Amino acid sequence: MRPIFSVVLAALSSVILLFILLPIATTVTLQFFNFDEFLKAASDPAVWTVILTTYYAALISTLIAVVFGTPLAYLLARYSFPGKGLVEGIVDLPVVIPHTVAGIALLVVFGSNGMIGSLSPVRFVDALPGIVVAMLFVSVPIYVNQAKEGFASIDVRLEHVARTLGSSPSRVFITISLPLSIRHILAGAIVSWARGISEFGAVVVIAYYPMIAPTLIYERYLSQGLSAAMPVAAILILLSLAVFVALRVLVGRENVSESQG
Amino acid sequence: MFLRVRAEKKLGDFRLNADFEMDRGYCVLLGPTGAGKSVFLEIIAGIIRPDRGEVRLNGADITSLPPEKRGIGFVPQDYALFPHLNVYKNIGYGLRRVEKWERERKVKETAEKLGIAHLLDRKPARLSGGERRRVALARALVIQPKLLLLDEPLSAVDLKTKGVLMEMLKFVQRDFGVPVLHVTHDLMEAVLLADEVAVMLNGKIIEKGRLKDLFRSKNEDVSDFLSARNLFLRVSEILD
Repeated sequence: MRPIFSVVLAALSSVILLFILLPIATTVTLQFFNFDEFLKAASDPAVWTVILTTYYAALISTLIAVVFGTPLAYLLARYSFPGKGLVEGIVDLPVVIPHTVAGIALLVVFGSNGMIGSLSPVRFVDALPGIVVAMLFVSVPIYVNQAKEGFASIDVRLEHVARTLGSSPSRVFITISLPLSIRHILAGAIVSWARGISEFGAVVVIAYYPMIAPTLIYERYLSQGLSAAMPVAAILILLSLAVFVALRVLVGRENVSESQG
Repeated sequence: MFLRVRAEKKLGDFRLNADFEMDRGYCVLLGPTGAGKSVFLEIIAGIIRPDRGEVRLNGADITSLPPEKRGIGFVPQDYALFPHLNVYKNIGYGLRRVEKWERERKVKETAEKLGIAHLLDRKPARLSGGERRRVALARALVIQPKLLLLDEPLSAVDLKTKGVLMEMLKFVQRDFGVPVLHVTHDLMEAVLLADEVAVMLNGKIIEKGRLKDLFRSKNEDVSDFLSARNLFLRVSEILD
């Protein structure tokens, strides 16, 4: 590589990295200069309840995405059928809809007068199920597309040979397709979980209460200002980073053992 | 006739229209790349459904049976070993209904016959090309198939290895007593292995019989393929 080219590459790349790291690092470091406030927030049970609610709701949403999204991903990766493009478009739809709009649309269906909300014994508005459906709506495209990519990366001939060796399509799915795409599935689940945790717009419309972390931070910012919102924001950053790194290491390790045989 | 196939299949611009039969024995299906040989094997294995026609094995109509009910062993061109399973589990994959001790005995016995008994703990990624071929063959044979389909089993190996592998194929067919349908574009494999030969061009079986009869064929396309065309193929392969 020409030296000038490498310098330009490095310079432009660092702009993006700095742009991502600077706000995050600053928010966290500032807590050291205001440690009392940080400790107060960190020892506030209300903060922890909110964080647990957030993680728990995102976890349920991810499990639903995995259970219902995996078959859909397999279908899209393996079969061609009339209207497949349309189905793929539907899966991607939540990505292009503004999230507050998604929240309104969900409220219309899951609200107490809505098609599902009026019939369901479960309450969605201002309740945990409402948070879950909002998180699911925005994160399920991410999961389905990741899993689809995983299935598509498997050579179909492996599945064909497994059939000739006496396996039904469902057994082929369980013994060949699923284990070979498990990394994509795990990675998809992690990203979809993270996406759920970070959702604010859709959740706040359908369920302001029980509060999730982004809602709490927004509320503290509006009512008490930046200095009140920052400690909670910093806690959420640190927690998210820890969980994210732990899971990446976990998936990464399986990746290594797979390639080493 | 042991195997009889009459099948039509349209795949994009390609049209397969094959009328084929073979006895129990070693049959080599010869044809240039793109003649439709792989599609034809996949129809016999049940992976592709023909648009029209029928597949009869041992007198029984198996046209509508799914691959798992046909009892036909299939070794595709790149062997398609399961990368997440070790050699033992690859070979034993088709024996899940068999009791564990029986499975162990069958896998070991087959592996020994094919000279891969020392590789049972390895993952496919750590096998050589020749070893992969043997594992794929063992995996197809261990289920005691009624018919063994081999798609270009000797492509991309050097001449010496080819000789060894050809002897192994001949041994396999006799020892396991399984009829073999072997697809290739290489005339030499037909000369050295085949009891019967069929020639496929542009999706059609255009000649069938013993090799020496084939060389006397009056069909211009056949003689063209067996002599000049085959030579051109070889030269173009060498130049590639």
